[in-house]
Amino acid sequence: MTHSQHHSEACRDTGRCPIVTFPEVVNIDEIKDEAPEVKTFYLSFLNPEVVPYFRIKSGQFIMCTVFGAGEFAVSLPPSPEHDRLHITVRSVGKVTDALHALRPGDKLGLRGPFGNGFPFETIKGKNIVYVAGGIGLIPLRSSIVHALQHRQDFGRIILLYGARSAGDLLYQTDIEEWKKVDGFESFITIDRPESGWQGQVGYVPNLIEKAKVPVEDTVAFVCGPPVMFNAVIAQLLKRGMSEDDIISTLERQMKCGIGKCQHCAIGRTLVCTDGPVYTYHQIKTLGEVI
Amino acid sequence: MYLLTTQDINDLARELQKTHAVYGPQVNAQTGQVFFDLLAESELPDLDAAIPSMPVKEILFPQMERILKYSYDAQAQRVTLEKQYGEKPKVLFGLRPCDLAGIQCLDRFFLGQEFVDDVYLAHRRQSLLITNTCTRPWDQCFCVCTHTGPAADEGFDLDLTRLDDGYLVQVGSEKGQALADAHGWKTAEHRRLAEKAAVVDRCVERFPDQAKDNKAWISRAMNRITTGFVKHEIWEYIGQQCFECGACSFVCPSCSCFNIEDVTLCGDSCERLRTRDSCSFSGYTRMAGDHNPRAPVEDRRNKRFFCKLSYTQSKKYLRPGCVGCGRCQLVCPGDIGLPNVVQYIRRETTE
Repeated sequence: MTHSQHHSEACRDTGRCPIVTFPEVVNIDEIKDEAPEVKTFYLSFLNPEVVPYFRIKSGQFIMCTVFGAGEFAVSLPPSPEHDRLHITVRSVGKVTDALHALRPGDKLGLRGPFGNGFPFETIKGKNIVYVAGGIGLIPLRSSIVHALQHRQDFGRIILLYGARSAGDLLYQTDIEEWKKVDGFESFITIDRPESGWQGQVGYVPNLIEKAKVPVEDTVAFVCGPPVMFNAVIAQLLKRGMSEDDIISTLERQMKCGIGKCQHCAIGRTLVCTDGPVYTYHQIKTLGEVI
Repeated sequence: MYLLTTQDINDLARELQKTHAVYGPQVNAQTGQVFFDLLAESELPDLDAAIPSMPVKEILFPQMERILKYSYDAQAQRVTLEKQYGEKPKVLFGLRPCDLAGIQCLDRFFLGQEFVDDVYLAHRRQSLLITNTCTRPWDQCFCVCTHTGPAADEGFDLDLTRLDDGYLVQVGSEKGQALADAHGWKTAEHRRLAEKAAVVDRCVERFPDQAKDNKAWISRAMNRITTGFVKHEIWEYIGQQCFECGACSFVCPSCSCFNIEDVTLCGDSCERLRTRDSCSFSGYTRMAGDHNPRAPVEDRRNKRFFCKLSYTQSKKYLRPGCVGCGRCQLVCPGDIGLPNVVQYIRRETTE
């Protein structure tokens, strides 16, 4: 089957041409345990013709089919450049449980990439603060790698990251790599003290004070559980950050990824095509969000 | 513009059946209900039948549809995929103007946004639409309020109007013109248009006064909803009436929400089904891990009315999402069909 048959026949190409309806088959090359119930799956397309068309922007997501179980929406952690295609998934339901039972060599279906992505065009020259809790680091990973690959385009790059325990921290080898980049500041915390842990203890919002997070010429990318999210936003606003400079990415139940099934509708926007990346100002005016 | 006899119309239907799947209205002999069904070889569309119980969107956007078939061999780690939505050409013979307006809404939504929906396109690309002007309103009809009837203005391939001595046939597309040219139909004189206008006028006369004399009936309500001036108590009241059965969405010609589900048939073989869904269901927004972001109360139940009547939302159809067929009013067990909702909102406005 040729490439054109897989893509939307009426794809109005503007330089990007996602896989819209018919899933493309990928091979699971490698599976890595990230944390309890969280695994990273490294993938490669069976059909090499697709590769040049599958161009991602950081912050986008894909629809992933586990054959025999169903399809789910998942954010893309790899950076757009020089990064292996992979997804990191926690098992939370029927389809993701089935995914976790797979082994290397098994196949998945893939559609996408979909969504707007992070607004990198408008934040050049600014400081970037990443605030992540638990698996909230997954959708931010892509943009962290991208920012570090273009280190000269940005001011300070700060990562504030927390998880329940040291074992729940994701991408630990990546974080060690990132620390080697000049000017990358990271503050990592776990909820409760445990033996062998030398780092910070406490909740993520407390790190904002500790890291002396700048406010001027700064954007914050925030992703994490609702409790953390609300506390972080309150802290950032208190420090004087504008609502337009706080950026987050939302998740919703999705079925199509292309703005047709309407499951991800919030007010008059659709998370799949208008999002998943929104500023806090937008999130606040949408209603029913967090 | 042509004038055809009933015999010509029947011949056309029979001839199209050779190359197309022809759907048309039929009265069920036992129940008296009208369905817009696939016609068997010997059957003809009943152009005098009432408005069908189910919207004609069923044919282009079915309740349940297989879009993909696949089998996965876990041992060999091999998968084979088979696309399922290639469809044979269809004729919708004798659809009512309100159903045509519904199809236009679906066209603009499925084909006119950032992405094109391949599944709908496969159905729609090969379809021929033949509309039938209504000569009388039925109990639930209010198309004069939504400007979708009793006659169709645009969007059809051929449009039929029953006159005293035959059918006036108007052409609305190249496809329709090609059909007319191929058959060498008898051209109709200009005065036939006046006859059609008289038919339409007589039909409009038979609508209740409240409908035909109040052109701003629905637009007033739209204005209130769009500008957010509807009191919260009204929404709450409407929400409390809702049984969350989803029937309104399923009978609505312009409702387009769907769900996608993979179903295992036997062993390794699976199919991906696309089924209609309704925003009134509580599971509609529930995510893995059971987090449900949408508030459980009137918020969810009223979403449909925003979708139909709020300008910011219904602009995706380039017209109000309601086409005035009145089916939701007939099926709603809670008495909050769309006309009633408009009524509640208007009553509040006038108080």
